[in-house]
Amino acid sequence: MKLTVCWKWVTVDGGEPDDRWAGVSPADEAALETALTVAAADDEVVVVSAGPPGAVAALRRALAAGATRAVRIDTDGAASRDVATAVAAIAAGSDYVLCGDYSLDRGTGSVPAFLAADLGAAQALGLVSVDVTRRPVRVVRRLDGGRREVLDVPAPAVLSVEGSVARLRRASLAASLASNSAPVDVVGGPPRSEQVAVVTAYRPRARSLPAPAGGTLTRVRDILDIGGEPVHSESVTLDPPAAARRIVDQLRDWGHLPA
Amino acid sequence: MPDPDVDVVVVGAGPAGAAAATVLARAGHSVILLERGPFAGSKNMYGGVVYPRILDQLHPQWWEDAPVQRWITRRSTMVLTDDQALTVDFRSERWGRPPFNGATAYRPDWDHWLAAKAQADGATLVCSTTATGLLREGGQVVGVTTDRPDGDLRAHVVIACDGVNSFLAKEAGMYGEVDAANYTVGVKETIALPKDVIDARFGVRGREGQDIEILGGTGGVNGGAFVYTNLDTLAVGCVLKLPKLSAQALRPEEIIDGLKRHPAIRPLVEDGEVKEYSAHVIPEAGLSMMPQMTGDGMLVAGDAAAMCLAAGIWLEGVNFAMASGMYAGEAAVEALAAGDASAAGLAGYERRLRDTFVLRDHRKLRRAPELVLSDRVQHLYPEMIANTVERMFRVDNPAPKPGLRRIFSDERRRAGVTLRDLARDALDGLRSFG
Ligand SMILES: Cc1cc2nc3c(=O)[nH]c(=O)nc-3n(C[C@H](O)[C@H](O)[C@H](O)COP(=O)(O)OP(=O)(O)OC[C@H]3O[C@@H](n4cnc5c(N)ncnc54)[C@H](O)[C@@H]3O)c2cc1C
Repeated sequence: MKLTVCWKWVTVDGGEPDDRWAGVSPADEAALETALTVAAADDEVVVVSAGPPGAVAALRRALAAGATRAVRIDTDGAASRDVATAVAAIAAGSDYVLCGDYSLDRGTGSVPAFLAADLGAAQALGLVSVDVTRRPVRVVRRLDGGRREVLDVPAPAVLSVEGSVARLRRASLAASLASNSAPVDVVGGPPRSEQVAVVTAYRPRARSLPAPAGGTLTRVRDILDIGGEPVHSESVTLDPPAAARRIVDQLRDWGHLPA
Repeated sequence: MPDPDVDVVVVGAGPAGAAAATVLARAGHSVILLERGPFAGSKNMYGGVVYPRILDQLHPQWWEDAPVQRWITRRSTMVLTDDQALTVDFRSERWGRPPFNGATAYRPDWDHWLAAKAQADGATLVCSTTATGLLREGGQVVGVTTDRPDGDLRAHVVIACDGVNSFLAKEAGMYGEVDAANYTVGVKETIALPKDVIDARFGVRGREGQDIEILGGTGGVNGGAFVYTNLDTLAVGCVLKLPKLSAQALRPEEIIDGLKRHPAIRPLVEDGEVKEYSAHVIPEAGLSMMPQMTGDGMLVAGDAAAMCLAAGIWLEGVNFAMASGMYAGEAAVEALAAGDASAAGLAGYERRLRDTFVLRDHRKLRRAPELVLSDRVQHLYPEMIANTVERMFRVDNPAPKPGLRRIFSDERRRAGVTLRDLARDALDGLRSFG
């Protein structure tokens, strides 16, 4: 069996990249630990990181912990679409691809999605537990409002785990020492993205509404949702195309999408 | 004896450990430098001023790439009472150019830099790994255990540079009874201010910096205080005698708070943003608390051997750590060449310490820590001195000015200091600093 683990190596921004303040997220570490737990003795566990040369230190740590191969895709600041394509080339043929549910820089989480698409694999994200003793693996997803979803995910699949799923094992002293000079494969990667993503806090667009009707009391009632039947959520059963249309309409109605 | 994994294991990648590892690696020995933190310096703090002269021997022209914040060109000693301050301020342009004298530096930078130099010379640095105990055969130390799986590491010599409260030296039975009175606790706030504001408040330019050592300002707890300038932060803190600290109600952070509110300190630190609060224990009693430093297969250097020198109200620890680490490395090289890692084979270590400033300074200043932290120096003298100066400078015509001798003797009596005690302290001071 082949397992691939994706690590995003992140440096603090500003100034020279500095190994001291760089690393991977606990979620990424949990992804490796999950892969090591799934893997049988002769399985292949490949850890891949698309990043600058500094990422090698992290990859060597992965090797010390038990990964069988480490690959660095030589790139810095590439678009996640392109990163996913490069990772997919290495992950091809994997039964499971494990990712952290978030990186240290809290990116968009889009690489696992692109990767699943490229690999033609299933995807499950936001995982709070992975039962590796079952085939297919049984996972528990975090949903909104404290709800959980239990899924059996057949291979091939891309799984994104939260940091709480597992704690990365400590490497033995001998493995730590050996990893200082362990080889890390380097493959060429995509160029730096021209599009600079500017991340700002989410602000819904302003909408003009008609002046409120009725007396003060009614208006307060309206604002506070007092009186009528409270509508917190709505469940509908639709076929996929209709469901997609409904979601888009609703998002547009809420102002998340252009009218 | 089975073949060891390496010639020497150095425990602790602080200044002492990095210096020891450098010397050994340069002599062609295999050496592993163990550090419990994720990188060298990650767990370390101090007041903030290094005196790196000893590096002339280990890394000539060290100033060209040392991660220095500011070069100390202004050194001030301040005596504080509740509402008075007397400052003796010295400034020298010479300290701002090679070969320099003292500098402020951050430990995560300084220790990382020193350890990287040891690595460049061939030492193997293993981080996130704690030495948990000693491996012994008969009386001989033959390595350490670590907290990693299969973590035993065998070596001809173990050099313990694991800092104050060294568990390895204690496990080896090198320390006698531990007395809290020999320790102080150092607490510090790192306060961010724009560089130009620091330049203006402290009267410095470019990379120049000021170092202020303070007697008083520690909320009535015996100790000392300091304000040091980094490029765009200040280090403000206190060193507090442990038994005195625990015998009263103020917490260390409240004592720093009081210091920051003192009329002489407030204008220096106000409007700054506290970035970090840190604390660390200091072996303050010098010679009188030093452990046995050489054992069969083992040496102890730096704070682990209580090498930190309380040279007045300021501390010199990093230079003593680097020097003792270097000498431990040299002695281990000698022992390995002679094929004798017993205490006798390692005897070159203490000989070097005795013949150099390391133990000479400690011997000369052996009375200093007790004197400086004594109740008289801490609680009576600041008032006495500040009041004397205040009366000397006070212009209250038409009463004629009394002479200095008269004022001083008034103030001495008012503070309740007997001539005998004063003479005794003066003599101690002269012996230490004279
Ligand atoms: C508040 C304060 C102010 C000070 N001000 C100054 C000053 O201005 N100037 C000055 O020169 N000195 C100052 N000192 C003293 C100075 O910090 C010390 O003397 C110096 O750091 C000693 O160096 P060292 O290498 O012996 O120990 P440390 O610097 O303590 O290094 C010990 C290293 O060993 C590691 N370690 C410990 N145990 C283990 C283990 N079991 N396994 C693996 N690794 C381990 C630690 O993580 C650490 O990296 C100050 C100290 C304090 C606390």
